Amino acid sequence: MSTAELVTVTIDERSVQVPKGTGLVETAAMAGIEIPVFCYEPRLGAAVGACRMCLVEVEGMPPKPQAGCTLSAQEGMVVKTARTSELARSAQNATLEFILVNHPLDCPVCDKGGECPLQDLTFRYGPGRTRMTFEKRTFEKPIPISPAISLDRERCILCYRCTRFSESVSEDGQLVAVNRGAQSLIATFEDEPYTGPFTGNVTELCPVGALLPTQPRFEIRPWELQSVPTVCGLCPVGCNIDVNQREGKVKRILSRNHPELDEGWLCDKGRFGFSHLYAQDRITDPLRRVRRRGLEELSWADALDEAERLLRAAEGRIAVALSGSETNEHAYGLAKLIRRGLASHSAVLPEETGAGLDAFRAPLAAIRDAELVVVLGDDPVAERAPIADLWLRKARRAGAEIVELGPLGDLQVAPGTTAQACRKLLRSELGSRLRTSERAILIWSGGGAGGGSHLAALAGELGFAAKPGCAAFLLPETANGRGVAEAWAAASDEEGAEDQPLGLLIVSGDEAAANPNVRALAERAESVLAITMFHTLAVGWSDLVLPGTSYLERDGTYVNLEGRIQRLRRAAIPPAPDELAWIAELAARFQVELSPHPSLVFSELSERVFGGVTYEDLGEQARLPERAPFAATAESPDEPVPAEAAGGGLQLLRYRPLFSGAAVERVPELQFQRPPPQIELSAEDASRLGVSSGQPLSVRSNGTSLELKAAVNRHLRPGTARIAEEHARRLHGSVEVSP
Amino acid sequence: MRALAASYPDSRSAVLPALRLAQERHQGWLPPEAFREVGEALELTPAYCKSVASFYDMLHLQPVGRRLVEVCTNICCGLRGAQEVLRAFEDELGVAPGETTDDGEFTLRAVECIGGCGWPTVVAIDDRHRLNVGADEVAGIVAELRRG
Amino acid sequence: MAELIVLAGAQDRDLTQLAEYRAVGGYVQLERARALAPTSVIEELNTANLRGRGGAFFPTGKKMQFIPSREQIDKPHYVCVNADESEPGTFKDREIMQRVPHRLLEGCLIAAHAIDAQHVFIYIRGEYLAEFELLKTALDDAREAGLLGETVIVLHRGAGAYICGEESGLLESLEGKRGQPRSRPPFPASSGLYASPTLINNVETIATIPKVLELGGAEYARLGAPPDSTGTRLFCVSGNVVKGGNYELPMGITIREVIYDLAGGIPEGRELKAVIPGGSSMPILSADQIDVPLEHDALRALDTFLGAAAVIVIDDRACMVQLGLRVAQFYMHESCGKCTPCREGTRWLVQLLEAIEAGQATHSQLELLLDVCDRILGKCLCPLGDAAAMPVASYVVKFREEFRAHVDQGRCPFGGASSLEGLFAPVDQHGQHPVLAEGVPA
Repeated sequence: MSTAELVTVTIDERSVQVPKGTGLVETAAMAGIEIPVFCYEPRLGAAVGACRMCLVEVEGMPPKPQAGCTLSAQEGMVVKTARTSELARSAQNATLEFILVNHPLDCPVCDKGGECPLQDLTFRYGPGRTRMTFEKRTFEKPIPISPAISLDRERCILCYRCTRFSESVSEDGQLVAVNRGAQSLIATFEDEPYTGPFTGNVTELCPVGALLPTQPRFEIRPWELQSVPTVCGLCPVGCNIDVNQREGKVKRILSRNHPELDEGWLCDKGRFGFSHLYAQDRITDPLRRVRRRGLEELSWADALDEAERLLRAAEGRIAVALSGSETNEHAYGLAKLIRRGLASHSAVLPEETGAGLDAFRAPLAAIRDAELVVVLGDDPVAERAPIADLWLRKARRAGAEIVELGPLGDLQVAPGTTAQACRKLLRSELGSRLRTSERAILIWSGGGAGGGSHLAALAGELGFAAKPGCAAFLLPETANGRGVAEAWAAASDEEGAEDQPLGLLIVSGDEAAANPNVRALAERAESVLAITMFHTLAVGWSDLVLPGTSYLERDGTYVNLEGRIQRLRRAAIPPAPDELAWIAELAARFQVELSPHPSLVFSELSERVFGGVTYEDLGEQARLPERAPFAATAESPDEPVPAEAAGGGLQLLRYRPLFSGAAVERVPELQFQRPPPQIELSAEDASRLGVSSGQPLSVRSNGTSLELKAAVNRHLRPGTARIAEEHARRLHGSVEVSP
Repeated sequence: MRALAASYPDSRSAVLPALRLAQERHQGWLPPEAFREVGEALELTPAYCKSVASFYDMLHLQPVGRRLVEVCTNICCGLRGAQEVLRAFEDELGVAPGETTDDGEFTLRAVECIGGCGWPTVVAIDDRHRLNVGADEVAGIVAELRRG
Repeated sequence: MAELIVLAGAQDRDLTQLAEYRAVGGYVQLERARALAPTSVIEELNTANLRGRGGAFFPTGKKMQFIPSREQIDKPHYVCVNADESEPGTFKDREIMQRVPHRLLEGCLIAAHAIDAQHVFIYIRGEYLAEFELLKTALDDAREAGLLGETVIVLHRGAGAYICGEESGLLESLEGKRGQPRSRPPFPASSGLYASPTLINNVETIATIPKVLELGGAEYARLGAPPDSTGTRLFCVSGNVVKGGNYELPMGITIREVIYDLAGGIPEGRELKAVIPGGSSMPILSADQIDVPLEHDALRALDTFLGAAAVIVIDDRACMVQLGLRVAQFYMHESCGKCTPCREGTRWLVQLLEAIEAGQATHSQLELLLDVCDRILGKCLCPLGDAAAMPVASYVVKFREEFRAHVDQGRCPFGGASSLEGLFAPVDQHGQHPVLAEGVPA
């Protein structure tokens, strides 16, 4: 910006200097003057000038009001808004009168009341009374456009923000305007639910009470809500959010624009997923297994005594299975207790992310500015880091070339062979273009272990370290896997000894509790202590259960996929003490010094691994740390190539859908977004097997047999069968498919 | 439909011709599956296709009769008796404007100006214009159409 | 009879036939133009002072000069011909396509040469099926005769939406979208079809180009009412006249001459009440104003426009409230729904006019009607809002006593005898009358 030519614009007799081409709405705002808008929203693309709320008078232009939102700052421009121009004042007043002639004015029963731009602008610029004496346009209302969003067409002012979002941001093309003129209305095709990762954004874009989330319907008045700025903990992006709560209960979640990270968009999992806090099977008290009676509640005092007993009884033969959703502080506290207090160092850690990538670090927004992006891996980006998908779309719209390498990609490679694809890429034509480009991005989206090292090696080879416009991103499976791994490592330098008979398995968190490998490990443990939020995940294998908390109920920090350290703030009152509180109490019993206060634990941890940054440094919008110096690593080890399916079978590609997991399963409004029990087949395999979409198929492997519906996926690599984790159950390797 | 798309630098431009083709294939109107077909051919969502179709008067979202009788009732024809012509068609066909005869043979519509203002009243039958139609000729026209 | 320009030769030959068109000098000017530098072609149009015949009256040569060169914008250039003639009262482009399709095609090819375009799109209104077929045959013949050269001409049919006659709505529609006008800037000259430099002209304008070259710009500029209203227009005459139809005449002929000398006067011995000079969106003239010459400046002086040169003649049987209502209903039906004042304002106008016509309105609502017109005027994204407000306001101003009589008498003073009585506005996509019963979800 500093190099852009500055121009002087006069608005309502106030002079302001801005870079040439700055939008007039923004220019006026810099002069402290409001140009009111409804349809204008720069994140949706070029201004459309539809609502006519922004009409202003501009000297030297035709003697009629001009749509301010479509103009940009030019040298010497003289603009008069409603404050100083009768022409502009009456034009804005007219627009509001026209908007209101068919608006139901049902503000008293409208959830938007109190934060409604239409209310506010009517108050500031509108007519005080109506001259409309005829019947208003009426519609059936509200209608659900999905279980999560309702639409009130009478309140709709047809600003087209929602349809522009659907068409040119999420590019799903589902929410559209139909009919013409005064009969126009917003609709989905044949009233099918508006489906996709990002639908909820339209509820925030809507400047009136037309598109509203169903979750808090009739439960909220905006002025009664407290807003807590925190970050989402449901994927590794860590979108910045405002959690709106009332009396300690979360009512809704809104985006909190971090321009480098999320640009103010949120996925539906992050937006609507909060109601899992109030699930029926939420554990609120400690539980103990009682022979023949199952799990029974016990007091916290007894529970901690029991925990202490289990820890001592294990005599150092303890393993901890971590989820990757713990806060850094919580993971560090647990690590300190177990590693320092009990000298046990075995852990099941989340996916390795590789500190080597810090040399290729950039904000996610860098994707937008790229000319070439190569996405490697088994999973679509939206399944792992949804917001990254929006950045990719934005880059493509700006002319970037996006190449996907994977079983669903433009360049098809077998599942689980991303590492091999990396090596091949180096010698390819695409590789040489990556090498010469100054604005290239690599993204690893699953498909085999050791992604961090492989990706860092690839980026290093391509010379990305010396090119600030080039970056590499790994999309891990868990929200804070990297922070948890670093916190675990920071607690001790000792190495864990393996293979001893396991005395106690500590299962930390819901992801670990749902992990089949952890379940298998539990079979070898004498006892199991589980920390989990939900009864269903605890029952049947735990000897002691301590209630888990959610990312919305904790203070602390997370490290996102960029390596950005972000603050979590407690936005909801948990039904039980948070983990750090009781871990600290147990730690004291083993003479381990541990504060129950996340801020103090963070200071200690930060000294060790985060270069001593403080809570204050992080602020409400955390900055991305500088790139680390590049250190060429030894050649990353060859991964074993997964065997191609033999004997006419298909190679199984399991994936974790965006809408899956313990939280999503407990949100009624998100059930429709979960994938049905289906098996995706390539068009080639489908035709070879003579099956079509919707047909029930028998799917078998290793003695497991399931019935799943066929779904032909034209992008899928032939020879591959793609099934969501939750439906694949015990299938693995190669699957046999028959009608 | 894909062949239509080849005439244009961007295949999306073919959406109107493709919708018209789909309408011909679906007895003169666009049922939901027509939008799916057009969407499939041009890589657009059915919602998008319906959004476009609903903008244009000649693309029908409701079933229509085998023959479409459209009477211009804009001012130029109106000054010269279009309302009598329309009424004559109502009487002959036994339906109001916007309705289809019970046998599914005729849909009668009043339409906005179709560009024959100097030759009132203009009546379009299956998009073929008849000029200078008087109310007294309507019975003959309907009889002729019924004969096929 | 004055000299024909656009329709020249068609009075005694079938110029839809390529050979016939060539026999009257057809495609000679194309050959000449192609031998000239594009700037020379444009210069000739500027000398002729050829203005846009679609209604905006913009100098055609100047419009071509706004197209940036390939060096400035490295994108394909496009010519779009606006054959979406939909303004009530207008039916001239239809006659041109029916009678001199090759002259239109020749004009397209000359225009393409002038702006260095390889692609021409003719957007023809969907209702003009016969004209589409005729033009298609002519195009096939021209292509077969090798006249197109490197140029591609695509005929694109609309599907029934008045607003696609507005140039940016046309571009949106041609791109396969809802035909909602775009906010400008950017202007089509730099960012039009597919965000590329685009020239958009009306059928009549394009079809005039070969004759301008044939006569020479200077000679053409002597025709009509120079300096601004040069050349001929196809005047579309409709309404209460004996012989409606298109009359190609030099600009500057008076309305009186059109009605009484050409169109045979008012039938059935009725009195002239009013004339709309340029199509239904133009402010009306009263019977005492018909000596005005039909040219730009003279009509501007009377606060109206030549528009698309569509003269609608109204005799003394017409109720002006009914006329206003029917015009407002049309523009409400055709409003694209994008911008607020047009979408909401046209509907409100209809409601107010319905109440006035039904004798249920008050005098203050009559003033409100004018105020709503004023609140639409100049505030919309495209000219459609003005197209509704301008005529309605002019009817009230010019025939205020008639409007007041509706209020005072509590009924239409024509008592059912108006020539427009019972005129039915079309039903919409859902079989609903636009205002009276609506709100059915899609």
